Amino acid sequence: MTELISVNTFWTIWLFVHLILAVGLLGALTHQAMAVALPARQPAGGIVTRFRAVPAAGYATAVCVLWILTYIVGSYIYTKYRIAIRIPLEAGHYYKTGGFFDFKEHVATLGLVLLPAYWYFWKNAQDPSYDNARKGVTLVLAAMCWFLFIVGHVLNNTRGFGS
Amino acid sequence: MSTTTRTTSGAAPSTSSLAASRKFKAFATTFSISGPVIYCVIQYLNWPLVTFWPATDRLVWGYEGARSGEGPNMLWYGWTLTTILIAAALGVVAMLLPRRVTSKIPLSLVWIFPILAIPYVIYSLMPWWTLAASH
Repeated sequence: MTELISVNTFWTIWLFVHLILAVGLLGALTHQAMAVALPARQPAGGIVTRFRAVPAAGYATAVCVLWILTYIVGSYIYTKYRIAIRIPLEAGHYYKTGGFFDFKEHVATLGLVLLPAYWYFWKNAQDPSYDNARKGVTLVLAAMCWFLFIVGHVLNNTRGFGS
Repeated sequence: MSTTTRTTSGAAPSTSSLAASRKFKAFATTFSISGPVIYCVIQYLNWPLVTFWPATDRLVWGYEGARSGEGPNMLWYGWTLTTILIAAALGVVAMLLPRRVTSKIPLSLVWIFPILAIPYVIYSLMPWWTLAASH
């Protein structure tokens, strides 16, 4: 592979793939979280109402697939991060940045294990006995996703693309 | 008449046999409720299923501590795999239990336990925060 593209380009492409998957996941989960937290009473209206009025149940499988794919690609990039990013971060005394990355990896796994129940609750969205659990787990996953995205973004600014 | 739920959840009766399965419900909820707890315990006890050495691309079973000339080790993959295996095993056990038992599992634990896990995770990263405070 290194004969075709440089090592930097190779990892930058994977970082882009991770980013694109994460953006899709963030969008889908934010739509769902808004739909359960602030349900729209009318299907049409302003942009905010329409953002909340999506058919949220249809996102469940896509969210699970995107979380798993983002997780797998992130896990692959992590091998490069451990050598090429974290060691220089430590050498530069960027301990908070390194600590937040480790925090991010733990949160990603905590989110991963929620997916089976999350998927089940959404696939049975017609059953009101799951309403509270579905709302809770969706909001937790959305909050986790925003945290993962922001930490990843800040870390990329510290030592990401092109470094 | 409320149209709120229909408008926003797009709820329709599930056509998937998996989603309609009571056994899958027992598996999924047990897996997701126990997962965050197991992850914290596994990380605390440091029981990774595998240890990966990125500098040498070496993967070994279980925990392997620092070795000269091999660079840093990575335990997160191993912690995750151990967690998934144990949570899945508990999920399978839950599938075998009678419905009157599994129906008593509080579903709200699915979102309460990951929130409760966060303070422990922050605490477990204390070496980072200590270093940050001293520099």
